[in-house]
Amino acid sequence: MSDKVGMSGATGAGPGRGISRRALLQFAGLVGAGTVVGSALSACAGPQGAGGATGSGGGGKLSIVLNRNLVSLDNKLNQYDAAVTVQRAVRQALTRIGQNLKPELVLAQSFELTAPTTWTVKLRDDIHYSDKSPVTVEDVETALKYYFQVKASFVAAQFPEQPVFAKIDDRTFTLTTSKPLVTLDSLMSNILITPAKANKPEELREGIGTGPFKVASADSGTGTYRLVRNENYWGEKALLDEVNISYQEEEGGRVIAITSGQADVIDTITPESAAALKKNNDIELIQEPGTRLIHLFYNFRKPAGHPLTNPKVREALSYAVDHDSLISSLMNGVVSSAEGVVPKTLAGFVRTGQYAFDPAKAKQMLAAEGVSKLDLTFIWEESEFAGAARVMEALVSMLGDVGVTVKLKEIPKGGEINAWRRGEAGDWDVLGNGYGNQTGLAITNLQGQYGGTAEKEKTRDSYHGFVFPEISGLIDQAGSEPDAAKRDALLKQAQEKIWALSPAMWAWTPDNVLAKRKRVTSLELSPANSYDLSKVRVSG
Amino acid sequence: MSDLAVSPTRTAVPPKVLRRSAAARKARYSTIKMWVGALCTGVVVVPVALARVLPLPDPVHGVLRETSLPPLSPGHLLGTDPNGRDLLSRILHGGQTSLLIGLLAILLSGLIGIVAGAAAGYFGGWVDTVISRLLEAQMSLPLLLMLLLVVALFGPSILVITLVIAIAQWPEPARLTRALVLVEREKPYVAAARVLGLGRLRIIARHIIPNILSQTLVVVLLLLAQAVLLESALSFLGAGVQRPYPTWGGIISDGRELFVTGAWWLVTIPGVAIALLVLGVNLLGDGLRDRVRRAKAVTS
Repeated sequence: MSDKVGMSGATGAGPGRGISRRALLQFAGLVGAGTVVGSALSACAGPQGAGGATGSGGGGKLSIVLNRNLVSLDNKLNQYDAAVTVQRAVRQALTRIGQNLKPELVLAQSFELTAPTTWTVKLRDDIHYSDKSPVTVEDVETALKYYFQVKASFVAAQFPEQPVFAKIDDRTFTLTTSKPLVTLDSLMSNILITPAKANKPEELREGIGTGPFKVASADSGTGTYRLVRNENYWGEKALLDEVNISYQEEEGGRVIAITSGQADVIDTITPESAAALKKNNDIELIQEPGTRLIHLFYNFRKPAGHPLTNPKVREALSYAVDHDSLISSLMNGVVSSAEGVVPKTLAGFVRTGQYAFDPAKAKQMLAAEGVSKLDLTFIWEESEFAGAARVMEALVSMLGDVGVTVKLKEIPKGGEINAWRRGEAGDWDVLGNGYGNQTGLAITNLQGQYGGTAEKEKTRDSYHGFVFPEISGLIDQAGSEPDAAKRDALLKQAQEKIWALSPAMWAWTPDNVLAKRKRVTSLELSPANSYDLSKVRVSG
Repeated sequence: MSDLAVSPTRTAVPPKVLRRSAAARKARYSTIKMWVGALCTGVVVVPVALARVLPLPDPVHGVLRETSLPPLSPGHLLGTDPNGRDLLSRILHGGQTSLLIGLLAILLSGLIGIVAGAAAGYFGGWVDTVISRLLEAQMSLPLLLMLLLVVALFGPSILVITLVIAIAQWPEPARLTRALVLVEREKPYVAAARVLGLGRLRIIARHIIPNILSQTLVVVLLLLAQAVLLESALSFLGAGVQRPYPTWGGIISDGRELFVTGAWWLVTIPGVAIALLVLGVNLLGDGLRDRVRRAKAVTS
């Protein structure tokens, strides 16, 4: 066989000897290398990967690559900003928070405070699920009940108490609380409605909802979901035919996905990626002020006599943080330094002061309080916020300049941070932590962070030991005050008192930054870092 | 075979033919390997060893306004990271950590391996069975997973990481030592030592081990590359020395998300340093092994 192959001259084999084994191996090697290189090149040259965005006709497909695994299609335990976009495309609530951070009606036709402690809600008469089954008041009752039954519910923790449900007729019911709860219409925007029979006190990975999309396939393990337009939607139908959702933890992988055309939208991107993507002509960035507060929060569980129990020491340490340099160098200017104890985008925010950089003052104050050779331990969960490790490493230098030694402890993802936060896994002094807000209300943050009571602290459910009865009393009063002016006055008083205690070394609010390919139009990013998928259009 | 290469004057084969022989080619290759290996290793190890003497900026405290400067920027030969820290300084200081862990780990693993392997080879019987089964059991475990587990249990520190890598690497020298001792113990000089009434431990320590040490040390040296790689892998996965102290794996891990945004030097340059060191140590070890084998063949 080998004698017939006319390549002996080319491979250098001697005349009359046929093809040598070496020549054959070289040839096979060349063919193999050619095949590998050729297929790699053709793969790179392809405009889009499998499952990529392929606009077709009217609706088209959209591919979203999230930065975290979308474990479920409801939010009982899992409500990070970008997940809300997808969850609400399938399931809806009685209300939603609009672009102006005010509650808007969705499944409810009316949602009114009819008595100081009672809200009366009437469901729309035209709503139904994707299988055309009607939405009943029992579905709402079950949903509300299960959000409170599930353990460690992020949503339930935002309610001061569980409202008592009472049915009036087939479309009307009341929600009653022991104390007035004037923000219940906003809080109910987080309770997503599912048919009572299909609902469970756990995360729902599939199932039906009233939203503009329905689930075609779901794999919560790999975090991939395929949503298709709900042709039976009770409202204005979605513009897209299909939405594919996947996740990629590596920021670099997501940047490559959008630049190569495999993804149409990536959200919550880091400042470095934003700066790099700005140079790409096929990609647009959307940047909006956010509602997520990130802070370097002090541990309020330190024993009496520890320097950090002294508000003057806490204030002094804040002067050591050169936040302008951090913002310009490590955050590319896409964050704003806090001017109060909650993000300024929230309704009810009060400007209480500004963080200042003055290392001389920090040293002087520390000396005045008799503090020297202070050793602090900083903890944070891996990737809790963009560039977290870099910020923490920069703080080591800044605090070192005022004579404070900092030890860093990065907690890996996977839930261990909760034990640290509760003080069960070890001692720490400062926590780098983000606090999201989906209601648009300052009181939600205030309640969750600064509304700690001795009762809550017994079970370590206060926010890192922040228990000041005077402050939690003011927040409670504000939460039950129906008069808006009086409520705002109470909130102002509470925020000023919190600021005076210097609860954080520094705090900031990152802008929400989303990158999309230019073929994606009419995408409106809300301050809560989510958008209405039904309004999104793709072209080309 | 080696006689021809070593003493060509004793043969009638022309020197030109001798030079083209396989033995002579191997001898040349081993010399080249040793020189290239020593050069690659030296390029990395010498500056790393002198890191504290060289006029370098602080590897931990940076100047934020000098963020992410590319290589060849004024005052920063290899550029800076996002925190404005000099990359050259971080690589050299990080190299000290990696090399310190690597050296300590191979010293310890070499010691354990030689002692255990010599005992297994010389005593045989149940000692051999126990040690052989132990090292087989350990070799069947996925190494990196085992390392991650131990570091997760005891926390990341230089001592823990060194011990973990040392314990992970002892089977390699132990197996080789056992095999060499099995051969040596049958040799007449060992029998003579026994006849003279020397104790078994003394025979192993004074007579057998010195005879096998050169070959074993070459394998131990080769483990240095593996130890540095393991340390870098642990740091890359976040289980290495804690921040803000630099390690090679840690620098690469921090730089990888910035790679696609254009800061290529944060991943590439420390990657080249690791590659050079690993390549250099492997070539050096390989060359030494060839030389030791040849010398052994000549003497026997």
